[in-house]
Amino acid sequence: MRRCNNSFQAYRYTEMSVLVLLSVLGVVLLYLGLFNNRGAIAGVGIAGLLAAFVLVAADWHLESPLFNGIIQFDTYARSFSLVMIVVTVLLFLFGIDYYAKVKENVAEQYALMVFSLIGGLLICSFTNLVVLFLGIEILSIPLYILAGGKRDSFRSGEAAFKYFLQGSFASGFLLMGLALIYGATASFDLAAIEAFSTALVGGQDMIFLLGLFLTIAGVAFKVAAVPFHFWSPDVYEGAPTLITAFMSTVVKTAAFAAFYRLIANLQLPGAVETMLVVMTICTLFLGNIVALRQTQFKRLMAYSSIAHTGFLLLAFLGTDARTPEVLFYYLGTYAMATVGLFIVLTLAKRAALGDENIRIFRGLFQSNPWIAVATLLMLLSLAGIPLTAGFVAKYRVFVISLTQGYLWTTVVAVVMAIVGIYYYILVVREAFTAQEQESKPIVVAPLNWLVISICGAAVVVLGVMPGLLRM
Amino acid sequence: MLALFYILAALSVVSALIVVSARNPINSVIALVVCFLSIAGHYILLNAQFLAMVHVIVYTGAIMVLFLFVIMLLNLNTATEPMKSLGMRVAAVTGGGLLFITLAAAIRHGVTISATNDFDPGVGLVKTVGHVLFTEFLLPFEVSSVLFLSAIVGVVMLAKKETPSPHPLSDGEGLTPAELERRR
Repeated sequence: MRRCNNSFQAYRYTEMSVLVLLSVLGVVLLYLGLFNNRGAIAGVGIAGLLAAFVLVAADWHLESPLFNGIIQFDTYARSFSLVMIVVTVLLFLFGIDYYAKVKENVAEQYALMVFSLIGGLLICSFTNLVVLFLGIEILSIPLYILAGGKRDSFRSGEAAFKYFLQGSFASGFLLMGLALIYGATASFDLAAIEAFSTALVGGQDMIFLLGLFLTIAGVAFKVAAVPFHFWSPDVYEGAPTLITAFMSTVVKTAAFAAFYRLIANLQLPGAVETMLVVMTICTLFLGNIVALRQTQFKRLMAYSSIAHTGFLLLAFLGTDARTPEVLFYYLGTYAMATVGLFIVLTLAKRAALGDENIRIFRGLFQSNPWIAVATLLMLLSLAGIPLTAGFVAKYRVFVISLTQGYLWTTVVAVVMAIVGIYYYILVVREAFTAQEQESKPIVVAPLNWLVISICGAAVVVLGVMPGLLRM
Repeated sequence: MLALFYILAALSVVSALIVVSARNPINSVIALVVCFLSIAGHYILLNAQFLAMVHVIVYTGAIMVLFLFVIMLLNLNTATEPMKSLGMRVAAVTGGGLLFITLAAAIRHGVTISATNDFDPGVGLVKTVGHVLFTEFLLPFEVSSVLFLSAIVGVVMLAKKETPSPHPLSDGEGLTPAELERRR
């Protein structure tokens, strides 16, 4: 009830209107589908998202807490929201071609993506654990459905089912954790919990500790950190590629933003610090080592995504003031590269009649030299080669973890980053190998060409001038 | 009052144990109903009428009926119960046991249950819950409509009968040969 009295004076319509706008946008998209306006869906969706972008950007640096301090749309939240909205726009642009031949449920899939985005916006601005839980559910439930979007494919159904079951389990852990934290601190308010943890330094409260463990386990599931990653390869592989791209970019960004917001100002007990370090090292190891053995591109990207989770977690260790900035840059550039690659994958997969082996990229340079170069740039960025954004991102993470005194964890991470280069280069090699026999050419629609070019150019421009992407 | 609490507590623990140990799924579900009802009893003891009612209506009513339907439709019985491999069982027991030990240790050490706030007998009344819901927690209350809407859309989307399209790109990216085989 802290700000109950002045909440109406402090209330500015523009601050909340982005949530309202996106909810209405989702409903409008559903109606467009109902009245068979197939052509308009993506266009209206993109227009709505751009309007949301303007609304979020309009009040930059405004930090007032809203709704009795339940959420706070601060610069941190706004930055991550903007990244998520931009990536969703790119995915919608891709969707125009992706859904061109799809007969049914197109509007529903767009609408569910918008609903999921609302959850994403909520969890990067929460200051109350109720909103964290609700936001994670709003983020996830549309995804359970979207993962099963390919009705003809049993793998898609399998992905949806696995994601749903394991996601429900994670929600159970999260809820249990939040309940225990509430039990220990008697508050859902993040500031009150932070004050509690500060007062606790040196002491021990088992209930609070257990609550933190379970909560972090629940959130770690969403970012696919080892040992909570089991869902990710199967779900990434089975889900429609557009949705896989959505999961590995927008959802990952939202989950990491929420994760950091949760623990940023908490005085973490030593045991939780240890848990994070162990989780980071396991994630780095497993993600990179298992990725070496993958031949299916989507599974490769899933393990690469796990590996990147490891690097991002590395920035969490300790309390460094630069962490939000680095997370923002890392997630933004990672999303750019990933979106582009999944589009290239879809195009190559179509030409290869549904095959997903990395062989399908063979001959890409012959037929579409520019697309091949863009693919090369994006893969190099994920690998972290200098002059690409991925290098700057990894470099900044290593700087943080070194200044925080995690020498050996950083050494592991550097070694794993070098190991990681191998499997990205494997894909590059395929793309630049000539094809032996004639097969269907890889067709690139103009809009896809545009999106791939944007992504390819972005990773280089941001790598050369990292200052462009700042909070 | 205290006697009532102990009776209810014993009832919830025993019925919860029956839920996980019963061989017949129907017995499991019935035990779960008993468990939920006894938990609703706890809520009433705490003067949380609203929570107790919602618990009975939603869990005991809606969800349990759903469970019964699922069991009926899937025709589950002991004979069709899939056998788990030994490795899976060992892993499950180890995992569950570790979690149990952690929880037990946490409760044994340092849990001093002391009330942070005085108990307010009015806290669970419909009036109080409604007031909090529409003032302090207005945003979560409103935004949960997005959650329900997406769940409804999803259910319709997944349950709708679909006519398989002959076009090879009818799912946007092409099906693998194995998936095409399965489709026929």
